[in-house]
Amino acid sequence: MRPLAITGVGQVSPLGLGVEALREAFADPEAAAKRAFEGEPEVLTREKFPEAHSAEVWGFDPNAHLGDKGHRNFDRLTKYLIVAAKLALEDAGVKKDGKFLGALTPEQVGICSSTAYGSLDSITELNLVAELEDPRYINPARFPNTVINAAAGYVSIWEDLRAPNATIVDGNCGALDAVLSCETHLAHRRADAFLVGGGDVITEVLYLALRRLGAIAGGSAKSAPGARDSQGLHLGEGAAYLLVEREAEAKARGARVRARLRGYGTAFDPPKRQARLLHASSSAVARAVRGALSDAGIEAKDVDVVCSAASGLRPFDGAELSGLAEVFDGTAIAAPKALWGESFSGAAALGMASAVTWIEGATPGPVVVGEAPSKVETVVVTSVGYYGNVSAVVLSS
Amino acid sequence: MGRVFITGMGVVSSLGFGRKPYWEALVEGRSGISEVSLFDTSNLPRNLGGEVKGFVATDFMSEQEARRMGRCSAFSVAAARMAAEDAGLTEKDLAGERTAVVVGTTMGEANVLGELQQAWIHEGTEAVRPAKLPRYGTTLLPIHVARAFGASGMVQTLPAACAAGNYAIGFAADQIRSGRADVAITGAVEIIEKLEYAGFVRLGAMSPDLCQPFDQNRKGLILGEGSTMLILESEERVVRRGATPLAEVGGYGLACDAHHITRPHPEGEGSISAMRQAIQSSGLTPDDVDHINAHGTGTAANDAIEAKVIREIFGDRELPVTSIKSMIGHCMGASSAMESVACVMTLQTGIIPPTINYETPDPDCPVHVVANEKREAKVDVVLNNALAFGGYDAVVCFANPGRLPEGTGEAAEGEAS
Repeated sequence: MRPLAITGVGQVSPLGLGVEALREAFADPEAAAKRAFEGEPEVLTREKFPEAHSAEVWGFDPNAHLGDKGHRNFDRLTKYLIVAAKLALEDAGVKKDGKFLGALTPEQVGICSSTAYGSLDSITELNLVAELEDPRYINPARFPNTVINAAAGYVSIWEDLRAPNATIVDGNCGALDAVLSCETHLAHRRADAFLVGGGDVITEVLYLALRRLGAIAGGSAKSAPGARDSQGLHLGEGAAYLLVEREAEAKARGARVRARLRGYGTAFDPPKRQARLLHASSSAVARAVRGALSDAGIEAKDVDVVCSAASGLRPFDGAELSGLAEVFDGTAIAAPKALWGESFSGAAALGMASAVTWIEGATPGPVVVGEAPSKVETVVVTSVGYYGNVSAVVLSS
Repeated sequence: MGRVFITGMGVVSSLGFGRKPYWEALVEGRSGISEVSLFDTSNLPRNLGGEVKGFVATDFMSEQEARRMGRCSAFSVAAARMAAEDAGLTEKDLAGERTAVVVGTTMGEANVLGELQQAWIHEGTEAVRPAKLPRYGTTLLPIHVARAFGASGMVQTLPAACAAGNYAIGFAADQIRSGRADVAITGAVEIIEKLEYAGFVRLGAMSPDLCQPFDQNRKGLILGEGSTMLILESEERVVRRGATPLAEVGGYGLACDAHHITRPHPEGEGSISAMRQAIQSSGLTPDDVDHINAHGTGTAANDAIEAKVIREIFGDRELPVTSIKSMIGHCMGASSAMESVACVMTLQTGIIPPTINYETPDPDCPVHVVANEKREAKVDVVLNNALAFGGYDAVVCFANPGRLPEGTGEAAEGEAS
């Protein structure tokens, strides 16, 4: 793909808000990981789920960012996405204090946003009313939140972004697949800039489902993304957007190019057994990464570090590391979900935001294979879906 | 690079399975609306829907396949298999990395989630069967289709509410033009689900009896369900295998209202932009458009704004406009994919299917509705409108093969990947 300029980064995560919070976390990943899981959870409360370890966006006050009006019926994901969008647009110098600064107009900026389970919380809320009371009592003002693209729709309304708005739902791979969406629409000049990324939030039903599937490391069980003795994942949440533009035009408007999107690859590999659905595929990992490298016109040796999708879920981590080993020879592999937990589309979007900070000088981490490079120019970010789908993106300086 | 053609179409609808019976019913003006039997509507003030009746998953797949998926995925696999057969393609022809699968939806496997949540709510966590949990993922829609053919490249789900079909078809065509795929299985799928149905009732959007797009006395939409999958192929592939294309996919337009989550922009700004882009990116002018298959939901707000948008772009021209939602209901994410079949068949046959239940012209909807009876017309270029929830606007242009200029729908010069 033709390189695209990343001119802004906005993120909302258990590490804090904004790109600076990410940078600080990578300065001391151990302390950041500890902090991320240390707060008093509001969703998976200690009283109800004493065994749970979760990384919420601690102390998030929507009023501080959105004012105190107009967002009463937004769900948590919508609020996170709006704040991530606001931060990315400000970081890129497109907007300030809610106003467009003039270099780009509302008609020029679009959204390519992903979520894996974004509407689950609202669907559950309304299903509880419908099942325990009466379907006639469901709140019509909350009903729109049950539609998957509602959150990105609200972002467009709140931030007044009138260029194309696309939502992508590919499980864990959505945020990286949003890069393809952005690249496609920029190439066709359907917009001049896109917010690219996505998010997911912790919900009680999602936790219960993953616990029922044996995916959660509860109580004293160990969750260590990328480690052979990990016993499961810890849930996290968050949202991140990159502001992405065609490079020549970004430069022409005087934007600071923080990093570049260089390549995208994706692959799907079904399980051998017909009856199976969940599938960890090392061959899909290798194909997706090779595809991204080829799309970027680079070789594996040009990559300084891989920002992996390792979450602590052993079969998937194992397949990913094995697939990466087919492509790379000793290249450092980081597993940053140790810092924010498994947040699906949010995690992959945070991965891309992290890659930008690494390219700008932060130290990649935590590194689970090889050693962190002293200088980072090129990063491969991966996402591994639960059904055999894998996507990968190349970012470079 | 080059042209992208539709070579096969598969349909699961309230009017039958496969493009032939579906098209025959549309041309006859038959209604697929009936009382909803999928769940109990006795405590709701509405009970109609464009329900798919008599669908047996194992007519289209093995028992083993059917067991691993919900109704929504089963619709899409069935539609995809019919589309492949229609295109004269075997599973082997669609296997491999060069086949993209791009599927649109609004709610995906909503009934799988509904059943899981019912068990959880009424009987507790232990009643939820772990084996059923993985069947919920929305991303499974393209994955089940990919597995049916051994496709191993791109699998993407685009949930763009009621514009999802157009989003998917347009995006899949883009991927063929940019060289990321040679062939695509693309379309959309939706099922009628209890919570969604109740939600639309609570929004006051549902008609108690008829869906009457553009009629002065229209009372709202009626939910429908179904799936359409298309086979899109690059020109080079079509020529190589000697296939006969059904239609060409032209350019498409996307825009966002950024106005209100459920209501259209009062001036139709996003819709105007999307329609203009679809025309321009197809290398055409408004005068070249022969017919519009409208979004036409039958709600007061949508139809008035859509009519205003059409007038804004096409002026007083007698441009025939129809909405097949009058017959199949509003199939949400699937609707624009279902309508794409009508567009292509109109191009093929020169017959425009009617908007049934059209009784009283509305001065607020000054468009030339193909009222109640099919119309014969020379149609070479058609626009398919989708104006969706969340302010998502998507319009796709379809044309008879060879009718569009070279370079249609291609990326801007110097910016292609």
